[in-house]
Amino acid sequence: MDATDRIRAASQFLLQSPPGEINDVLNDIRNIISDDELLQEGIQPALREYNIEQFTVVDVPDTNHQSIISEAARVGPSHSESEERFLDPRSKTSFIFDHLSLEASDPQPIESVEEHEPFRAALEAASLSYLKAHFTDGVASVFSPKEGTNLFVLQLVANKYNPTNFWSGRWRSEYTIDLTTKQVSGRILINVHYYEQGNVQLATTHTVSFELPPGAVSTPPSTTSSKILALIEDEEGKYQVSLNETYQDMGEKTFKGLRRALPLTRQKLDWDKVMGYKLGAELSGSKSVLPSP
Amino acid sequence: MAEVIDSMLDLMRRLPPTRTEENVGSLVGICPEEADELLQSVDQPLQVMVDRATGREYLACDYNRDGESYRSPWSNEYDPPLDDGAVPSSRMRKLEIQANEAFDTYREMYYEGGVSSVYLWDPEDASGGNFAGVVVLKKTMTPASALEPSGSWDSIHVFETVERGRQAHYKLTSTVMLHLITRKGSESDSKVPADKKGTENWKRDGEVSLSGSMTRQTEQDWPLNDASSHISNIGKMIEEMEIKMRNLLQEVYFGKTRDIVYDLRSVDDLEKARRQKELQKELVGFIKR
Repeated sequence: MDATDRIRAASQFLLQSPPGEINDVLNDIRNIISDDELLQEGIQPALREYNIEQFTVVDVPDTNHQSIISEAARVGPSHSESEERFLDPRSKTSFIFDHLSLEASDPQPIESVEEHEPFRAALEAASLSYLKAHFTDGVASVFSPKEGTNLFVLQLVANKYNPTNFWSGRWRSEYTIDLTTKQVSGRILINVHYYEQGNVQLATTHTVSFELPPGAVSTPPSTTSSKILALIEDEEGKYQVSLNETYQDMGEKTFKGLRRALPLTRQKLDWDKVMGYKLGAELSGSKSVLPSP
Repeated sequence: MAEVIDSMLDLMRRLPPTRTEENVGSLVGICPEEADELLQSVDQPLQVMVDRATGREYLACDYNRDGESYRSPWSNEYDPPLDDGAVPSSRMRKLEIQANEAFDTYREMYYEGGVSSVYLWDPEDASGGNFAGVVVLKKTMTPASALEPSGSWDSIHVFETVERGRQAHYKLTSTVMLHLITRKGSESDSKVPADKKGTENWKRDGEVSLSGSMTRQTEQDWPLNDASSHISNIGKMIEEMEIKMRNLLQEVYFGKTRDIVYDLRSVDDLEKARRQKELQKELVGFIKR
């Protein structure tokens, strides 16, 4: 494999990292490729893609909160800057993000769009109280529409990493809200990795779209935002409960259908007889080796 | 620095089990010199092949591979054909035929379908009765429609045995790979009556995939009457192991991963619970006074 192919393979590995394990994956890759110089440059795009896709959280400089790295949070690079920046709408700052160390630097104040800010702030407040009600380690960011669009973007992410007990998990949700068409569309993504003497992964995707009830957008921003979050709360709650049903379905139908807990006889096999059946079948020339049901 | 192979195995324990073949392929591409060890250490989904002579299905894995060809346990022939493909000694082949028949019965009893194969190989030191082998089982459920759940179960049991007089010592390493997928679409939603205004405008779509593998080992001693005792001994060990692992898989797949989801998000309102707790504390304090 030439250098380009090796970087491509390494990037693919990185993008598949389970929640909270990108450093472990990176360490493995470093040892396997054993060419840090090549990797250093080559894997930057993959790290960036991973952070944006996975809603990586970052401590925002000079604040006590975290914000989400994502496509919606991306600003620039504008003509005057050479580096890409990310936005924390809550503190109204933008910063440079190091995709390897996961640190923010060079915070700069940004001006919010006056027309959108009241609704954005209200949606943010409602999101934060929703987060507090249902997530223990959650982070939420709410973005005003980017230039030329009508879409507010609400993102939230919750991570739990427990390497001592060999598991990790991530919940991501994203909703785009169009106040003109009153359309909300969203997706929920859950990833769980359990790796004690094995490697078991849960990956779920759920997309949903709905229309806001008539009148919902003509109310003050805080009322509209509460209504929207109530609908999201309801949807996410229902989805979580429906997962239980899916689990049950998989257990009852698929799992049992693949392998029985015990044979139809409700007894373990009598191995001496199993060998005997064969002998008997051979002697009688019969093809069937099983006792007739 | 760790050995390269250890890093490869650690990586394979972390990357999604649904992409094992693709990722093993990439690793072999990066380090061809590690290929043999990697392919021996990473269990990959078993491939179903059809014996050209008998028309019977069998399973292809690293253990019945010679170059690009796989040996069928039914006809003992390689596909694509090999003139000098490795085959077991006639003594071992006799036992292999018996073992394949026995595990075919086992498969029918527990899997009610699927495919099984047993491959034995002669010991490097041909003096004793020591030998090794693998028992593989696979069942796939293909859904009748797109929204039916689908899944597959692959068992790989590798064993070694050492004869000690009228006893034999067995070492068994078992891996089960289990994939379960359920797709959900909007059409399942139309059955729900539109009790709320606007409910008819809701569209939903999704997929739940649970996949992975678990490995366990055991060592046991069993009495030995004749050569075929090996088959019933190994049979009992594998049966016991599969029962244990099925319980374990059930616990991890449907218990542990679900608990982690509920650790990420709580269905109940945590704020409300917090306030209630405080209120309760206050009440207790009030009563105590």
